[in-house]
Amino acid sequence: MSAAGSAVSPLISGALFAAAGAFVLLGIVVFYRVYRGPTVQDRVIGVNIVGSNTVIVIALLAAAFGRPTFLDVALVYALLNFLMSIAISKFTVERGEVF
Amino acid sequence: MSLTFLEAGLLGFVLVCGLTTALLKDVLSSIIAFAAYSLGMAMFWVILRAPDVALTEAAVGAGVMSLLLLLTIARTVRPSHEAFTESIRLRTAGVVGAFVLVLGTTIPSLPAIGSPSAPVIDYRVTEYYIANTYAQTGVKNAVTAVLAAYRGFDTLGEATVVFAAGIAVLVVLRKEGFV
Repeated sequence: MSAAGSAVSPLISGALFAAAGAFVLLGIVVFYRVYRGPTVQDRVIGVNIVGSNTVIVIALLAAAFGRPTFLDVALVYALLNFLMSIAISKFTVERGEVF
Repeated sequence: MSLTFLEAGLLGFVLVCGLTTALLKDVLSSIIAFAAYSLGMAMFWVILRAPDVALTEAAVGAGVMSLLLLLTIARTVRPSHEAFTESIRLRTAGVVGAFVLVLGTTIPSLPAIGSPSAPVIDYRVTEYYIANTYAQTGVKNAVTAVLAAYRGFDTLGEATVVFAAGIAVLVVLRKEGFV
């Protein structure tokens, strides 16, 4: 693998970039739920979907750039994605609401 | 072409997330929107071929930051609001807009992303580090060598600041440990 990444044909990398762009647009649409709410739970689930989208986009970018090491970033995001949901759920169960 | 489309979409996403974080009246909702902002920035770091920064963003932005903010607001009371978003003062918005415009005028003088003739690539300081780092420090990673060897006192000062801030927090809270 060279410094510029292994050879990915322009057609395939273009298709992967377009797919990643579609997922980002989907993220913008989902973010409307984060903005509008109305409850905290709606917002948390919205951010969770954006997080899953992020994992997919980073994996697609890793394939498009021909850099498998970028997949580590996607893995870390997949591992950390649930942290905030768990924190908010814990507060909600123990105290009725976060604050 | 597709990459431009992706970058434009990401830019819009990050902008929307940042504005929402700033404008939402409810603090908890702002924190949740801020987590989404951090996710957008991580995608940008990957596009700019900086996976180490993206990893830091993942650990700090998505992991620790939202937890710390949640723990902080869990100890406060939640004021009730009638308004859904903050009201925008036109004069302040004008000043901020003018400031953004002034900053924006510096953008054309930046080198293109990945440009081989960017000053950071062929400047003699960079060449010096690349040529001499291993012989002088024995550290194989040049970035680590600059941080820990050439700028060792600077890094020590940063660590001191963080340590002092932690001690100050403990003094204010009258506790003996962070847990």
